[in-house]
This record gives sequence, C-alpha cells and structure tokens, in this order.
Amino acid sequence: MTEVKDIFKDVPCTFCGCLCDDIIIEVDGNRIIKNTNGCAISKERFLGHAENRCLKPTVNGKSVPLEKAVERAVEIIASSKRLLIYGLSSTENDAQREAYRLAELTGGVVDNTTSVCHGPTILGAQESGEATAALAEVRHRSDLVIYWGANPAAAHPRHIPHYIRQPGEYIKDPKKDRQIWLVDVRTTTTSRMVDRFIRIEPGTDLEVIQTLRALIRGNKLDVSEVGGISIADLEKMATSMKTAKYGVLFFGLGLTQSYGRHRNIDAALRLIQDLNAYTKWGLMPMRGHYNVSGANKTSTWVTGYPYAVDFARGYPRFQPGEYTAVDMLARGDADALLNIAADPVAHFPREAVAYLAKIPVINIDPKINMTSKIAEVNIPAAIAGIECDGAATRMDGLPLYLRKVIDPPEGVIPDRDILRMMIKSLEKVIK
Amino acid sequence: MNQSGERTMNSGSVKVLLTSGRTLSQGRAMEKGKITSDYEDAVAVCELDTTAMETLGIENGETVVVKSGIGEIAVKAKLNKDLHPGMAFIPCGPYFNYLLDSYTQHTGMPGFKSLAVTINAAQGTKISTVEELAKIIKEGK
Repeated sequence: MTEVKDIFKDVPCTFCGCLCDDIIIEVDGNRIIKNTNGCAISKERFLGHAENRCLKPTVNGKSVPLEKAVERAVEIIASSKRLLIYGLSSTENDAQREAYRLAELTGGVVDNTTSVCHGPTILGAQESGEATAALAEVRHRSDLVIYWGANPAAAHPRHIPHYIRQPGEYIKDPKKDRQIWLVDVRTTTTSRMVDRFIRIEPGTDLEVIQTLRALIRGNKLDVSEVGGISIADLEKMATSMKTAKYGVLFFGLGLTQSYGRHRNIDAALRLIQDLNAYTKWGLMPMRGHYNVSGANKTSTWVTGYPYAVDFARGYPRFQPGEYTAVDMLARGDADALLNIAADPVAHFPREAVAYLAKIPVINIDPKINMTSKIAEVNIPAAIAGIECDGAATRMDGLPLYLRKVIDPPEGVIPDRDILRMMIKSLEKVIK
Repeated sequence: MNQSGERTMNSGSVKVLLTSGRTLSQGRAMEKGKITSDYEDAVAVCELDTTAMETLGIENGETVVVKSGIGEIAVKAKLNKDLHPGMAFIPCGPYFNYLLDSYTQHTGMPGFKSLAVTINAAQGTKISTVEELAKIIKEGK
C-alpha cells in the first residue's frame, strides 16, 4: 500500500472499461480534493462524488429507515411473478453475485447493461470464437491499431494516450512505429487524433468488413466502391492489414448498435481470424461502464451465461431478445424491476420506459437519476471504487481491486450489503 | 434520407438519419449527476451540419423539434461543421431515446444508431428539463 496520510496512489478509476489504475487521489477529511492523471470524466466522477446524491432511502418519495425500504422492496419482490433485475455494470463483482443469488431465489430474470451495449459482441463471439489480446500486449507489440465505430476521445478519453500512444517493448516510437486508423460514419474528435480516418456510409459496416475479407483472401470484386470507399482504397487497407506485424481492432457501439447487430461482430471476428492466417491480429470491444465486462464474467461464472438469464424454471436459461431488459419491458413481461447501478429511464427506448412507469420499481444507486424519479423504492448505495472496495474487470478481462478512499455518507452501505439484506429477508418469506 | 442517401428538404424541414453516441460533456455531466442542468445542456441538443442549419433558417442554439415515427421532442440545435450532410446527432440519453422504438432485431439491442427523423425549426418552443421529461414519461404522455 502506498498511502501517505490522505494521498492514495494507483487508484483504479471506476468510470469506463479502461479502469486506468494510475490515478492519484487526494483527500481532505472525507472529501476528495484532487484527481491526478484522470481524464476529464474521471475528475468529475471523483471530485463530484458528493453531488446529486441520494442520501436517504425513500418509499413513495417519503424518507424511511433503510430497514423499512428493504422491507417494502422485499414485499414487491415476493409478490411479483416475473421479477426483472437489471443494471450491475457500474458496481463491483460481489454485488453482481448477490444479484444472481436473488434472481435464482425468486425465479426472476437478471440482465445487465450489456444487452444495450456489447450484447451483440457476445452473440457474435458465441458464433465465431474470439481472438483477443491484453491491453499491455497491444501497447508492447501492435504496429497497426484500428478503431471501428468507436469514439474513445469522448467515451474512453485515456484509451489512446494511456494505452496506444505509448512506447512498448517492441514499439519504441508510438507515433512512428504504430499506425492508428479510425473507421466511422462521422467525423469525431477521435478522427482528428488518428493517423488515418476512413469514413464509411451509415449502415454499411457489414459490407465493408466482408469486402475486406474477400480482398484479404485475394478475391477480385466487380464493383468500384463499397460503403463509400473505393475498391482501390479498400485493397490498400487490406494489404496494410495483412502486412502488419501485430494488429488490433478495437470496436465500439457503432458496430453493435447499427443495422446488422451481432452479424457485424460475427463478420469482424471472422476478418480477424482470416488475418491470422497471414499475421497476428486480435480484437477487443471498447467496453463502456467500468465493470460491464465484470458483469459478463460473474454472470457466466455463476449462471453459465453472460446476460439475459432467466431462472423461472429453477435453472438458468439464456435467450437474448426474450430475457433482455428492453424486450421484456416493451412486451410487458416483467411485473417488477429491481434496478442496480444503472439508469434505464434515461437509456431505454420510450416504449420500454413507459411500461416501467406502470410497474413497481426498486432503484439502488448512489445518485439521484431518472429512474429514481419513477421508482417506488429508492435506496442509496456507496460508490464502489470510491466509498467501498471490490473487484472489477477491465475491457481486456484483467481483474483489478478497487479502492475505498473515503467513507460513504452516514447510513449508506454498498450495493452488495443492500442485496444481502434483501436476500436474508426474502429467504424467510420464500420457503 | 432517401434510398440513395441524399438529404431531402421540404419547406424549412429536413429529413435526416439521426444517430446517437457518447460525448465528453455528456460523460462528465452524467458522472456529476443526471438531475443537473449540466446533464440537460449536454444531452438536450441536436448536432446539425451547415446546410441543414441553413435550410431550417436557424442559428446555433435555437430550438428545433425532432420527430420520429413514434414521437417528437424539442432540443437545442448545435452546429457541427464536420457532420456529413444527411446526418444529425443527439448524444445518448433520454431526449434521443424518447424518439426511439423498442425493436431489437431479437438481440436485446435497440437501433440507437439509425433513426429516420424530420427536423423543424421551433423557435420559442420550451425544452423539457430532465425532471419534466421523467414526469412526462411517468404520466404516460
């Protein structure tokens, strides 16, 4: 441990999937006063930890003791026939595991925010396998890095400066020895940071990837352009990709959320597999929430499946489109929601949100969010990685230990302890 | 947008392909807290290219109403000179999602990246706050 008085070194940042673990946090009393090394969003997360907080549990808008809020939550859960447990990506691994226990106990469905971010990535990988890499390996070895449908300058601000534009064991000069490309449908801040920006027409990712696959295999195509890029340029891209010593494809929601969904990912995975016949390539999803990757891993350890898991038959079943949160709500399948560390009211389509307003919602979150505004029960939680410890998984699968740097507000406890209280109480009710 | 990908104009309104995604200010405001004016300022905006702004006859910061197949919402127009004609952008959040249908192609994932919308100038139209939007949703309007 490297703490000296109130300075905490090597603190992992719990904002995005980069989990940058070189953050220095300075604390005065129980207030964070400085974040060194963090990006602009990281600084907001740590320095703004006390803003917009939910400090007292409420039931129907009235402050109640924690035990009363848990009691009402348990009543809702016990009387529901089709409970949906959702969220979990902005909390730590132990809280996730308690949520799966709760789902099993109640015969409910547990889904995490993966279903609206990289769910199609998992579906693609289940079809085609996955040639992945570690971020350190990328830094040490990669001479060609491609971002596809991603805007790390906005969503993962230190991904390029911290992991990619850094020298490594075999890349002495990251500006000269490593090329960075971006493929996207619009010009973004990231497009100005990279060595080459390739703009494609919206909705043509699948065609462009499949064209690259054909060209890499040496096939001749009888069209002059695909997705707005000339075949000559695509041929040059294919050649550069084939002749790279070590290439990595980082892809974002531009690939998973656009037309084609998991078929885009399936194609990207097969592109990487094709390239591995000639040289070394890997790919990695740009995971958004800091522990969404962990949510997939803990869900897989515990239930066998990474998200969209139903326990209605007493054993886990996996069916995206059926047990995914948006589909369940849009169809009106769930009769109660337990939401943990997410904000579906802000991030789900209107129809799904409109249904949410008709069913009892239990919301566990450190801050007041849009879901708080429609929830019957609101329970404040400690912020993992700031006010309580835990473990989280980086976008490349590396687990990291999260640090507690200050105490949570009085009476506020971690997500895992709130869930344990619910489980203990439920076990008495459901026998 | 028509099938050949060209932006079509119709007496002061524009038909574009609306996409959503992250922005730095959206991320910062989200971390500060969603029930803040910072968050509303970050997500209740629609980025438009120069020609769309000219067609609508609006200046940066004026209100526009964005209409999809399932609803319409007022947001602030923001000029993005780098945006490709035929496209508009609203940062991910409740204002974009108010326009979004729930079809997931049986994957769980809605179409956050490709929504056909019509945009009209709407100077003087009030932009709902985040809290007002939550209330509208709660009341099922």
